[in-house]
Amino acid sequence: MNPNIFFRILVFPGFLFLFVLILFCDWFERKIMARMQNRMGPSYTGPFGILQPLADYIKLLTKEDIIPHHARQFLFSLTPIISFSIFMLSIFCFPLDGINVFSNYGFEGDLLFVLALVTFAHFFLFLSGWSSSNPYSGIGAVRILMQFIGYDIPLIISAIGPAFLAGSLSLAKIASMQTIPFALLTPWTFILFLVALQAELEEDPFDVPHAETEIVAGYGTEFSGRKLAFIRLAKDTQIVFGAVLTATLFLGGPYGPVFSAPPSLWFTIYFVLKVLFVIALLEFVEAICARLRIDHVVRGNWRMITPAALLSVILTVLSAPYIRLFMGAPI
Amino acid sequence: MSPINLSKWARLKSPWVLHFNSGACNACDIEVVALLTPRYDVERFGILLKGTPRHADILIATGPVTRQAALRLKRIYELMPEPKFVMAVGACASSGAPFKKCYNVLGGIDKVIPVDVYVPGCPPKPEAIIYGVTKLFEKIKGGS
Repeated sequence: MNPNIFFRILVFPGFLFLFVLILFCDWFERKIMARMQNRMGPSYTGPFGILQPLADYIKLLTKEDIIPHHARQFLFSLTPIISFSIFMLSIFCFPLDGINVFSNYGFEGDLLFVLALVTFAHFFLFLSGWSSSNPYSGIGAVRILMQFIGYDIPLIISAIGPAFLAGSLSLAKIASMQTIPFALLTPWTFILFLVALQAELEEDPFDVPHAETEIVAGYGTEFSGRKLAFIRLAKDTQIVFGAVLTATLFLGGPYGPVFSAPPSLWFTIYFVLKVLFVIALLEFVEAICARLRIDHVVRGNWRMITPAALLSVILTVLSAPYIRLFMGAPI
Repeated sequence: MSPINLSKWARLKSPWVLHFNSGACNACDIEVVALLTPRYDVERFGILLKGTPRHADILIATGPVTRQAALRLKRIYELMPEPKFVMAVGACASSGAPFKKCYNVLGGIDKVIPVDVYVPGCPPKPEAIIYGVTKLFEKIKGGS
């Protein structure tokens, strides 16, 4: 076994690096939202307010941890940590600095593995709301389940497009095939994928599961202290996961031109820049959209987005020979 | 930085507020909402408005406490996790002001729950509320 592997899992590009990236992305999102709304955003906690997410988490960790009397205590305590760790584990499977955290190129089919893990994590988010025995949490949890069952389908269908073009279900292979990003070659799939991802991440216009004006804070209503910190961390990790998935499938992942040794440095820089680009895109959509009504979200999925995803796969398959000619790959 | 200082720093840098109206005329509420809008934008200091008492650190209570709202106010205060602080915003919240001897009004917020900072004014300007928050910060810094 490689002795380096503990360093890779715990420090770089594993836990610590991703944790810092997640905190930075949280700050980045809040700043973009604030600038889009003509505000300043966090500014006084550290330089440019960059330590704001860290201060939030430390404060939540030091606060009183309340377990409501009626809550299912075991599930209520466990679900925030489990959903966070599953999201983290699924990011570990991506090629972050050229290879993945476990120091290899993954295995054939880890795209499906990652998508399945994330469905599990969503289910634990549902359980976290369900176990707190609060009407608002219950409604939020049921809405999560309904939204994810619906939007997982177009998300997975549109993830098939890049996999088909690359001729592989391995994340590292899909990323390394993209001399020209699939976002430019198959923009129809990219846009559909972003729409489905927006719903998966519960961002506007699909943020019905935690709609503040209707159901207080959705499934997170009863959480306080440490458990809330982990729920928030799970949410932030989920957004970074979405950005990493998009960057790997459509923007070429960490791969790009290497100007000097070591290549892993350049790969990390490209990776972070692409992730930030996707997050900026998602936050831009969130800032300009209002919340859809719950029935519109469901109907929009089954009537429009799922058929459109199927059509986009058909279009991708039909145009695949020309696209592969363009990519310079064997047909 | 010792752990106590670190937690105090975090507490000062990320105060999340919950806004509760226990019978105000809405003037104070509009001023509280004005804090969040672009002109004053208290998110600069890390202040976020939260929907549920479980997430909040500071309860911003406005208006005199009516007999009907008293129990709700107390329950919301008890839902908040420790350490928690209360700001009474506006003259009515501080003392009951013109409604003091009304048959349906108990008086100020401090008749029901302990108050840390009083912000007078009818309604107080958003600057005054921010000044009240800084006073509360001094109290957090001074105490353990």
